[in-house]
Amino acid sequence: MSVEPLNRLVKLAARAFYDDITTKGDNLPKTGRSDNRGIAVVVLDALTRRQWVREEDLAKDLKLHTKQLRRTLRFFEEEKLITRDHRKETAKGAKIYNAAVAATADGHHTGKEGDEKIKLHTHSYCCLDYAQIYDVVRYRLHRMKKMLKDELDNKNTVQEYICPNCGKRYNALDAPQLVSMEDEYFHCEVCNGELVAESEKLTAQEMGDGDENARRRRRDKLEDMLKKQEAQLKPLTDQLNRVKDLPVPEFGNLQAWEARANAAARAANGDLNGNDPSKSSLGLGFGGTPMPFVGETKVEVAFSGIEEKGENIKSESANAPMKVLPPWMIKQGMNLTKEQRGEAKEEAKMDGSSAPSGSVDEKKSATESVDVKSIQDEYVKAYYAAILQRQREQEAANKEQELPSSSISNGAYNTSPQRQLGMKSKRDDQDEGDDVEWEEAAPAGNAIGNFKVNDLNVQADASGDDEDDDGIDWEEG
Amino acid sequence: MFFHIVLERNMQLHPRHFGRDLRDKLVSKLMKDVEGTCSGRHGFIVAITGIESVGKGLIRDGTGFVTFPVKYQCVVFRPFKGEILEAVVSMVNKMGFFAEAGPVQIFVSNHLIPDDMEFQSGDVPNYTTSDGSVKIQKDSEVRLKIIGTRVDATEIFCIGTIKDDFLGVISDPGATS
Repeated sequence: MSVEPLNRLVKLAARAFYDDITTKGDNLPKTGRSDNRGIAVVVLDALTRRQWVREEDLAKDLKLHTKQLRRTLRFFEEEKLITRDHRKETAKGAKIYNAAVAATADGHHTGKEGDEKIKLHTHSYCCLDYAQIYDVVRYRLHRMKKMLKDELDNKNTVQEYICPNCGKRYNALDAPQLVSMEDEYFHCEVCNGELVAESEKLTAQEMGDGDENARRRRRDKLEDMLKKQEAQLKPLTDQLNRVKDLPVPEFGNLQAWEARANAAARAANGDLNGNDPSKSSLGLGFGGTPMPFVGETKVEVAFSGIEEKGENIKSESANAPMKVLPPWMIKQGMNLTKEQRGEAKEEAKMDGSSAPSGSVDEKKSATESVDVKSIQDEYVKAYYAAILQRQREQEAANKEQELPSSSISNGAYNTSPQRQLGMKSKRDDQDEGDDVEWEEAAPAGNAIGNFKVNDLNVQADASGDDEDDDGIDWEEG
Repeated sequence: MFFHIVLERNMQLHPRHFGRDLRDKLVSKLMKDVEGTCSGRHGFIVAITGIESVGKGLIRDGTGFVTFPVKYQCVVFRPFKGEILEAVVSMVNKMGFFAEAGPVQIFVSNHLIPDDMEFQSGDVPNYTTSDGSVKIQKDSEVRLKIIGTRVDATEIFCIGTIKDDFLGVISDPGATS
């Protein structure tokens, strides 16, 4: 999240300053095909979505030629926007990097194919240097403004002179060499032509030679330019101000970053291994509160595994950011988080909702008093409980009809239509309050609600077969 | 800006000066050699104020000259960007005017002269305000601000401005005479 404003800054700066940068050498003739303006912006945007990235991978992702990309990157390096690291490495070194990439790049895809053929090559990596970018952009703006301001009030500018004959340029510091004995003008050292003052650096097109009108016109034009500059760069300056007090994400150099990312990945993996089987039982252990919390952590780094341990501390109000987000939040980080949370939420719901179902009715009474929940959640809970009860009954009925030895998936397929039917039939004679509640709960998570109904069935089968402590069995198996 | 610093120099002394007043000769030669010179690093050496130490002389093979390493205190003058100086106008032309502040030459281009001063050519070229109250011509004293310096190994040249508050003519020699 914290990187998002900075990324926005990078994108704005890219569009403001590097939009029409070509990285072609001057000696090459410019044809329509080789016109690569805008590449710089694309590359910078791509870099905002990555941390350290191998340049070959970046090239592959962007479908650019490596050489072309490298030229662009070298340009950015000179502009101090990115840091690069070159090193000779074997396949092993590449693997370290790949592991690190796998650890960080959960949401975005980086091409990792083709690392088998690495023997011992020099590889270049690059990464945005956010702290420096901030300074560079600020400095650039400052210089632009200063140049215009100086020009505007003619202050502290070193006067330049130009020879109209041979085009040689001088400035005021050359004055003693230029002054000639015969008249009061400056003369060119080369051709002895009379020098003219190059008065308007920025507004050279109107060669008003010092007379009052021209001077005023020049002033107006400069003021206009200054105003325009301020207006057009406003988004950028705003973003700079916004970023000012934010901590800058520090990736460190390549080695440090790799080490960190790998460590994080290992931690996450270790946890995941222990996690997978226990996931179904997790809900049981934590008092049957569904935890759609995993998605929240995934937004930033792949630390989710670690954080899951402290899961029960947070209530399921983790839903809240989905519903109400302050506008600034939406602007900055929404794209990424939403989709990520969306997919994460789905799976979280899967195991979150499936697991607790067995114990909701027992444990809920205990947990209800502890954590304060939204009314909707209450409804959902009550609904679950009701459904579960009905399921139990249904299950009991089913068991007599068909054998429980059918596989879970089969059971799910088989039972769901039956369940629907059963529910319908049951609901008719059951209380009407449930129906109403369902209607209210639906808008909160429409798709999810439906999802849960199906999902509950799966679990219901399992929980129906073995008793409430089935979670422990899962964990061991 | 003026500084009082210690510098060192290897002095070569002709054998004919070897005698009772060798030291005096050495100092006078040092003054003759050094005062008024300019080094890019330290600026103009204005005056030698004292001798710190004279090292052991080394006789050169073949010539008989002796080299003494001499440490001496001196006052140096080095102009800096942003410094305010008082200078005497030495030349006025259409492009601006030249002024001298001691050994330093300063050029003020006509863009850095206030807009209300116009160049008047003629017998005594000058810059004059429209009401004629202020006039810059040769030998005028001006207060100016240095906005740029060019420092070579043996030469310092400055450009200045009088287009700022409290800058400009201090006293007009034409008015007093």
